[in-house]
Amino acid sequence: MKGNEGAMIVNPKDRITTSQAAVILVNYILAAGILTLPRTSVEKVKTPDVWITIILGGLIAIMAGIIIVKLSQQYPKKTFYQYSQELMGKWVGGLLCLLIVGYFFTLSAFEVRTLSEVTGFFLLEGTPSWAIIMPFMWIGLYLIISGINSMARLFLIIFPITVVIFLLVVFMSSGIFELDNLRPVLGLGIKPMLAGLKATGLMFLGPEIMLLLVAFMQQPDKAVKVIIVGISIPMIFYVITVVMVIGALSVDGVVTRTWPTIDLMRSFEIPGLLFERFESLLLVIWIMQIFATFTITYYAAALGFAQLFKRNIQPFMYGLIPIIYIIAMTPKSINDLFKLGDMIGNVALIIFGVMPLLLLIVSKLKEGKHETET
Amino acid sequence: MKMRRKNIKIRQLKMHSKQSEKTQRFKPPQDLMGHFTGEFTVDLERVRQEIGHNSDVHFREFHIGSKDIRAAIIFVDGLSDKELIDKHIMKSLMINYSEEYKQDPSILNQTVLKETIKNQVLSISELAEVHDVYDLVSKVLTGSTALFVAGVPEVLILGTTKGKSRNIEEPVSEALVRGPRVGFTETLSDNTALLRQHGDNRSLSIIQFHVGLRAKKKLVIAYMNEIVNQDLVEEVKHRIKNINIDDLPESGYVEQLIEDNFLSPFPQVQNTERPDRVIGALMEGRVAILLDGTPFALIVPVTFSMLLQSPEDYYERWLPGSLIRLLRYFTVFISLFAPSLYIAFISFHPGMIPTKLAMSIIGAREGVPFPALIEALIMEISIEILREAGLRLPKPIGPAMGIVGGLIIGEAAVQAGIISPVMVIIVSLTAISSFAIPQYSAGITIRILRFAAMFCAAMLGLYGIILFFLLLCSHLVKLKSFGVPFISPAAPYRVSDWKDFMIRMPLMMMRRRPKLMQTKDSIRKG
Repeated sequence: MKGNEGAMIVNPKDRITTSQAAVILVNYILAAGILTLPRTSVEKVKTPDVWITIILGGLIAIMAGIIIVKLSQQYPKKTFYQYSQELMGKWVGGLLCLLIVGYFFTLSAFEVRTLSEVTGFFLLEGTPSWAIIMPFMWIGLYLIISGINSMARLFLIIFPITVVIFLLVVFMSSGIFELDNLRPVLGLGIKPMLAGLKATGLMFLGPEIMLLLVAFMQQPDKAVKVIIVGISIPMIFYVITVVMVIGALSVDGVVTRTWPTIDLMRSFEIPGLLFERFESLLLVIWIMQIFATFTITYYAAALGFAQLFKRNIQPFMYGLIPIIYIIAMTPKSINDLFKLGDMIGNVALIIFGVMPLLLLIVSKLKEGKHETET
Repeated sequence: MKMRRKNIKIRQLKMHSKQSEKTQRFKPPQDLMGHFTGEFTVDLERVRQEIGHNSDVHFREFHIGSKDIRAAIIFVDGLSDKELIDKHIMKSLMINYSEEYKQDPSILNQTVLKETIKNQVLSISELAEVHDVYDLVSKVLTGSTALFVAGVPEVLILGTTKGKSRNIEEPVSEALVRGPRVGFTETLSDNTALLRQHGDNRSLSIIQFHVGLRAKKKLVIAYMNEIVNQDLVEEVKHRIKNINIDDLPESGYVEQLIEDNFLSPFPQVQNTERPDRVIGALMEGRVAILLDGTPFALIVPVTFSMLLQSPEDYYERWLPGSLIRLLRYFTVFISLFAPSLYIAFISFHPGMIPTKLAMSIIGAREGVPFPALIEALIMEISIEILREAGLRLPKPIGPAMGIVGGLIIGEAAVQAGIISPVMVIIVSLTAISSFAIPQYSAGITIRILRFAAMFCAAMLGLYGIILFFLLLCSHLVKLKSFGVPFISPAAPYRVSDWKDFMIRMPLMMMRRRPKLMQTKDSIRKG
């Protein structure tokens, strides 16, 4: 394992196929949001048309994702951490990388804390949150130590489980679904929909991982496909969730609930089956999805440090654990946590919504200049 | 693929240097002292010094053709076929020789030609020459007979090995309803013969190795030349050459010395007593390893799904085959998670199971003095003890033991109020499920992991079980068996290999060999 440290940073064997990349993206996007999405979006939109907003948000995310991919494709086999300094100079690039690394580990801390809040509330009342968080982080560490390929394989296992259980659970709730709750479509016009656009757009945070992922892909030219597939699948998940939740709980019911999706599962019973309430199943897949998002952000942060300082990645993996833990324990209440989530979202909008486009233009310009010079 | 090949090569180079170091260290003193001089009495004395003190090594001196040409044979009592020695060596040399070669000039010279003996006198198929006392000793000790002839500098080695073998019987550890009733035996030549017997197949390659530094044993690897990926064969050969141990009593030693990750709870090499299973694996492009002295052959590489397959899945029609396979996946789930789910739901989330069920379980548990974990542990451990005790007991007592243990203790424990009846149901279900896993070693793994799952459930409830599942999956995705991901085709995802994964598609649809084996010839059926 010793020897070439440069090779250790990105193991050359550690390549992922196109489908693996898509699964990583899907698992990354699906996370904490699915439990709160109906509330956060309905709060802003205030009409049942949220599902249209979600589709719009997804389309915007696809566009942002394509820009990110185009940027990354300019620098084959290089992650953002590696080419940003090339593009913008040592200091600006380095700072931007640090910002992104910070974003990633803050996001992973946010996911971990959300996990501990939800688990502590629904599954393990009275269990201290360190007992919930620590084993979770250790398992994450165990997974990411062997690189992105292992992560992709794990996501391939949990993804089908997620799909099957999710569809099963959601369609079981169709008994209390009322179409009237979704009417009228576009009753108040387009305006409220646009108001919720930011809220739903944030649900699709995730394409930014393509800044790193493209470098790992065997066929980087198919990255656009990855973006389209990888965002469409969560979009379908979200639309189904929102439609079912609003259909069952109505717009007014959704706004008052902290975790409307779980409440949906709790609000119906199907007698005669082994389980009468299905929130346990939903929580199972949700925890798995949180694990996926957590490991990706954790890995992305560690990779950022490793590539910035051109060192072996493993010490950073170990070193990040206490950092993530401390950040995760910082919010005092669940409202603080949601505020942190909003903050992360706003930062993400700036870094990943605006910056890639600018960088893409800069790199195109540079390239053009380069060509004219030679 | 290229990367892997390169890696293997590098490793080979490294290992090779290591290997040569080691062989140098363990090399027997093969100096000129061992070389035969050609002087009859001197050479014979030399051999006597080496192995003459053994009571089972026989030295027999005689005269060829009633002349004064001295000769001697050396053989090991019981290992060599005495009838063969008497009829085809002694008789040919002592009686037939003198009659047939009366006029031969060499006879008159009181000498005898090696070529004459080899080509005209000895009616023995296996014949070799040695020049060295150490070679001679190793041959004699494995059942060959050494023939010294005065005036001939070489010593002839005659293949007179008498195999000690038992009859071919139905394998005990892998019983089938439908399928050949043939199992491997302890004799390597019988086992390779069983593979050859399968059909006229020029592609079947059987390569021999010698393993064990002190007790040299034969080991063969078998593969289909036209199917197998050559890199895999090289990797297997390479790992076998690196086995550096004085003795290998059973193929389990080989397994433990060549497996990828010895810390993993999962078996990464499949063992089987069934020739048909080995042939099936070879036809998929895998490699089999057979060791002399054990009926258990090894198959590499192995994937998790293989451990849940039985040859019968293929012999039966696809529908029963598929359903039984699905059932097995279900039994794995039950035997892994049933007790832990019980613990989690009883101690942490009684609200999640139907109210009536929860009421009846809690009602039945009333008066049980232990928490759910202890209750489950008591029962699980006692059933493990029962299983272990029943295994070692003489056959007639075993079933009685099961009845006493399983029925009476279980019943009494419930009556005494130590254990709740639901727990007894869970535990028995779990035990039966774990026995439904066709591969014994995989069953053990699942049983070990079940205890880990129980502790996780006792600490963190359902969340603990999910964490345990994630940990297990994280481990599984890392695990490889001879370069093949252990849980493929689940991850990495190969749709074409799913035809033979959780369900077994009709043979008409399985036209190709498993893709992950990267075989030379991928078409199985036109």
